[in-house]
Amino acid sequence: MGDLRTVVIIEKNLLIQAGLESILSELPRLVIIGFYTGDEPNLNVLLTKQDPDIMFLNPQCLDVPAANFLNQLKGKINPLIFGLLDDNAPESLKSPFADRLMFSDNKQQIQNKIQERCNLNNDPHDKAQVLSSREITILKHVVLGLTNQEIADKLFLSVHTVMTHRKNINKKLGIKTVSGLMVYALMNQLVSMEDLGDKI
Amino acid sequence: MLIDQNMKMADVVLHDPTLVPIINRFGVHLGMGDLNISEICKKHNLHLQFFTTILNAFHDKLYFPKEQLQSFPARLFVDYLQKAHRYFLEEKIPEIAGLIKETIQESSVNQKSYAIIERFFVHYRDEFRTHIQREEVKVFPYVLKLEKALEEDKITPEIEQLFHEYPITEYQAEHENVEEKIFDLKNIIVRHLPTPNNDRLWYQILREIFTLEKELNEHSRIEDLILIPKVKAMENELKLKMAK
Ligand SMILES: [Fe+2]
Ligand SMILES: [Fe+2]
Repeated sequence: MGDLRTVVIIEKNLLIQAGLESILSELPRLVIIGFYTGDEPNLNVLLTKQDPDIMFLNPQCLDVPAANFLNQLKGKINPLIFGLLDDNAPESLKSPFADRLMFSDNKQQIQNKIQERCNLNNDPHDKAQVLSSREITILKHVVLGLTNQEIADKLFLSVHTVMTHRKNINKKLGIKTVSGLMVYALMNQLVSMEDLGDKI
Repeated sequence: MLIDQNMKMADVVLHDPTLVPIINRFGVHLGMGDLNISEICKKHNLHLQFFTTILNAFHDKLYFPKEQLQSFPARLFVDYLQKAHRYFLEEKIPEIAGLIKETIQESSVNQKSYAIIERFFVHYRDEFRTHIQREEVKVFPYVLKLEKALEEDKITPEIEQLFHEYPITEYQAEHENVEEKIFDLKNIIVRHLPTPNNDRLWYQILREIFTLEKELNEHSRIEDLILIPKVKAMENELKLKMAK
């Protein structure tokens, strides 16, 4: 989503949910796209679909250990994760989190931690939003229907690199679906209607 | 603001007019006079708790009492979701499609580019129709039969077979995110649209798309967070009964 960061909050305590929302609303570029209480039976599926950039998680509201929960998401989505932690919680609850917001933190401390880790103070203009020529090549292949493997073979890249490029393309353009990318490619004459045939 | 049964329906709508399509689904229309919510429910024969909970959930994204919502019978949700489907398919999406068409006709520039957007939207409509069809043909009838079987304590071979063929986890896995393309469309219009000469019409399209997105979010939230867990619980009950 361009330079915005999508956020989900997983916290059972509604006061904390609302409080965190209010604190986040004072920071630039953060958009909350989901609130959960942690007991949703299909939570990992929903999170995978939403693919947030940042996740705030209170491990106490999960019915499995946080490490197991995070393992289920590994490889599918890769958000920046903050633990929402009670100061008195045992170390075993805190340990899965490199980034921690403690209940005793004041507003300033919380905002500083988030701002530091999320680079919210960066000037958005120093990060070019236009596609590189490599990205344009990959975009063309994607809209023509090639798989990641086929693109990797063609360009002598690893599948992983192709996927990274695709993520960057989606981010820069703010477009997630292949059909959306087709519209972009057509409007910018990167491909022609004939190239796409009946795909669109 | 929490909406409660003693509030006048009119005050609620004046406070949040985006609720109008929601109350329409329940058969409540504008020109509602001075009745309060509980009187409205009596008049239209509605489930009062269900009605107010749905209004609150739509009005305030932080308000989503899962336990309470899951305690309502599944048939209330099926009925509500089905009416929402009709609204999306027969009103909202044709409305946006019509607006796009009109906008292109009134454009003196970039018609070709805009026609691509129109195509994208038509494509989206078709996909959305398929999505809804699966829910209405496969999922909802199963949910209703399952609830009935449990309520009447009659486990028929039919329901056992349905359970084996298409358990709710299957639906959960193939339940696509229908908001994704709407998200793309917003970005395409705001970021990538070749500069139009009729901003007002494009703004109108954009506003409608934002409304649609909000309504779809709420719709999917009920399907994903209420209906699916509820049916899972019912399936567990069914499994227990089948084991006996
Ligand atoms: Fe639906
Ligand atoms: Fe759906």
